[in-house]
Amino acid sequence: MSAHVDTFSYDDAIVRKFLWATFIWGLVGFLVGLLIALQLANPAFNLGLEWFSFGRLRPLHTNAVIFAFAGNAIFTGIYYSSQRLLKTRMFSDALSNFHFWGWQAIIVAAALTLPFGFTQAKEYAELEWPIDIAIAVVWVAFAVNFFGTLARRRERHIYVALWFYIASIVTVAILHIFNNLSLPVAPLKSYSIYAGVQDAFMQWWYGHNAVAFFLTTPFLGLMYYFMPKAADKPVFSYKLSILHFWTLVFLYIWAGPHHLHYTALPDWASTLGMLFSVMLWMPSWGGMVNGLLTLRGAWNKVAEDPILKFMVVAVTAYGMSTFEGPMLSVKTVSSLAHYTDWIIAHVHTGALGWNGFLTFGMIYWLAPRLFQAPLHSKKLAEMHFWIATFGILLYVAAIYSAGITQGLMWRAFDETGRLAYPDFVETVMKLMPMYWVRVAGGTLYITGMLIFGYNILMTWRARPATYEVPVISAPPLAPAHPEPAAPAGEGLWARFTAARFHRRWEGLPLTFTVLTALAVIVASLAEIIPTFLIKENVPTIASVKPYTPLELAGRDLYIREGCFNCHSQMVRPLRHETERWGEYSKPGESVYDHPFLWGSRRIGPDLAREGGKYPDLWHVRHFQDPRSVTQNSIMPTYTHLGRRTIDFAGIQGRVDAMAMLGVPYGDAVTRAPELAREQAQQIAAGIAAAGGPADLADKEVTALIAYLQRLGKDIRSAPATASAPAPAPGGAP
Amino acid sequence: MAKSDEDRLLDHSYDGIQEYDNPLPRWWLWIFYATIVFVPIYYLVPGDIGAGKGMIARYEAEVAAYKASAPPPAAWDAAAFAARAKDPALLASGKTVFETNCAACHRADGGGLIGPNLTDDAWIHGGQPAQIHVTVTQGVLAKGMPSWERLLKPEQVDAVIAYVLSLHGTNPKDGKAPEGTADTTAVAAPAAPAPGA
Repeated sequence: MSAHVDTFSYDDAIVRKFLWATFIWGLVGFLVGLLIALQLANPAFNLGLEWFSFGRLRPLHTNAVIFAFAGNAIFTGIYYSSQRLLKTRMFSDALSNFHFWGWQAIIVAAALTLPFGFTQAKEYAELEWPIDIAIAVVWVAFAVNFFGTLARRRERHIYVALWFYIASIVTVAILHIFNNLSLPVAPLKSYSIYAGVQDAFMQWWYGHNAVAFFLTTPFLGLMYYFMPKAADKPVFSYKLSILHFWTLVFLYIWAGPHHLHYTALPDWASTLGMLFSVMLWMPSWGGMVNGLLTLRGAWNKVAEDPILKFMVVAVTAYGMSTFEGPMLSVKTVSSLAHYTDWIIAHVHTGALGWNGFLTFGMIYWLAPRLFQAPLHSKKLAEMHFWIATFGILLYVAAIYSAGITQGLMWRAFDETGRLAYPDFVETVMKLMPMYWVRVAGGTLYITGMLIFGYNILMTWRARPATYEVPVISAPPLAPAHPEPAAPAGEGLWARFTAARFHRRWEGLPLTFTVLTALAVIVASLAEIIPTFLIKENVPTIASVKPYTPLELAGRDLYIREGCFNCHSQMVRPLRHETERWGEYSKPGESVYDHPFLWGSRRIGPDLAREGGKYPDLWHVRHFQDPRSVTQNSIMPTYTHLGRRTIDFAGIQGRVDAMAMLGVPYGDAVTRAPELAREQAQQIAAGIAAAGGPADLADKEVTALIAYLQRLGKDIRSAPATASAPAPAPGGAP
Repeated sequence: MAKSDEDRLLDHSYDGIQEYDNPLPRWWLWIFYATIVFVPIYYLVPGDIGAGKGMIARYEAEVAAYKASAPPPAAWDAAAFAARAKDPALLASGKTVFETNCAACHRADGGGLIGPNLTDDAWIHGGQPAQIHVTVTQGVLAKGMPSWERLLKPEQVDAVIAYVLSLHGTNPKDGKAPEGTADTTAVAAPAAPAPGA
């Protein structure tokens, strides 16, 4: 071997950039969260402005926290640790900067589109198609940069943190692309190419694995680097790392359907989702075990070091939410928890505890190293820890209670066999005290965030005039050495468990990446192929017809306003559900729904059977001021719907796009605007005749009412003799 | 907890991070195996633990069981209602029910808004208590009157009917014009102090 030694330096400037972005977007995301929490406690906090209503801002909150806060935190950690674990500078500084600025531009684009109602209506995939393309481009740049760095490494084997980074980068790309396939109809409007059951399946394949490969695996990677660093202890078990990595990556992918228990998704998919979630418990806990046992003998350090405290709570929160996940995925548990705040509590244990605290711990550890000055105040960091921990406890305790309370109220029958709480608003009112406690908990968490920001800012201010850039020297990459031979007489099983084959893979990052991608793809296809191919999954219902052009326009308004954030459209086959809402939802009912709008949370009532429940004028007044017709309603006002005019000219393009996606539109494909105008005039005339406003024939509220009055009606006309022509126009009673 | 002398460090180190060659924790491995064994069990065991025949079959069984056990709905007792239609407690609770649920469409004073005026002599679907009972419980979906059978308890339905009847003749300001056919006998019944209408 030559004595040649390379000299090089690490790019820490990029890490500092990501660190600041993490803080800034984190604060923004948390503040938006606080605002929408206030809106649930008191609808006045919608401020009467359409851009600040819950339906518009909720996706901004989730996107900001997941992709802006957690995303930048991941990049901070990956850019810092990968260079050091691979003993090389990042592959390309230009790509690093493109990644940074591109990602921030995407976040800004999200903030500039979501409040204005540009959304695909798929959770955590709300951003419209041009932004989706930008995400794909930036992600590919990141991937090229990362894998280029792997290729230029000076360390033969790749450490477990890097396995998790690889899995994250590859899988997020796959998920993002296939869930966002859509047909653009306008610069910021598109329709998912999937419909109904299949769209729901793809969405939760994506949605669940966004949690897996954006909020879990990258953070496990960060944990594997920063925790042993901060504790100055070896990792507990290399074998556990191997087993929990592969089982996690393979099993996670299958679990998505557990978000759709008791919906119109077929039983087999739901069952697979549940069983794989249960099997996922220990693979998830492998990370927690490896993290906590790494601290063996270092607990005295935990007592005095806020960084380790943050990490211990993070890993514990991870353990709690990854126990809770499999538990919630059990169908019976899901039947209680689904649509309630229990799920909100679950994700906040994960986001505030695991993602947030790991990020804080990591940044407190990084700040002195990146800013080359001691941390401004350990005391403030301690204070941050205790305030934020208390904030989390308040938040989740309140929201767990809220979820279980509401779930139990929904399913309660009285002694006569009637629903004990038939009035939905009553079950919402019950949650108000808990919503205020949540606001208090969130405020504490944000207070901690501000203390954190101040501490980091003061540390930064103490930086040297110019950062010192240490020169690193390391020998170039050594050629792969042959695998040590198995001891004579070693059995197959022993050979397998000795994991020498894995050691070889670790020296071959390309092979490793291909194997990871294979695990993910095989698991995905095992569910996706049958979902799309088995016809019996979605028995057709002859009476289910496409929406009229006006109803389609109304449906797009429903999407624009984010109604699906609070209203489900999916009645589950459970007696208390059908007692409350009517007939349970059938798979065949949403075959023309691009995208599906089943929803995941019932802050307001289910709307699957809304059609014909109330007269049109009731809806007009309800949008104008929900509390004028439903005392105690917490819905925002939608006065702008009564002012803004329907874009009749734009309807043709939307109908054409739907027709292109296979929706049988008949003669509407040539005269959609006319048909829409006719129907709108009919509805408006009915409203005026009933004593309502006389000028609604071209107002958005009329289109939305047309859509709402259609919901759930098609199967009601089903048993009625042969096939009625089409229940298309009219809608109004 | 493993004693530290059981820990064997592996020979590699990444940026100073080392790993132990510790075996998998037994409890971890056994629980993992158990969750795998649960898969066939779930498929094979019928009934509440297992997959059974699926959610729709289970739902239908649930509904059938309820129907079998539920007492047959008792017919509405018009005479018993008439006997207490003037009961102040009933009227008070009827007022609350009305203001919470009905006022949005019929106005707080019953003068009519989306729905018809309830204070005049005209009734679209009949003004006899039994007819009002049908209207309230079944609703008139075609005209936008929802069915209240699921939302209101029988006692609340009685209360609100009594309250609506008590509104007759109050003649509030700006009430909606009469709709339907006049039925002046309707309110006479509960007005009579004695039962037997």
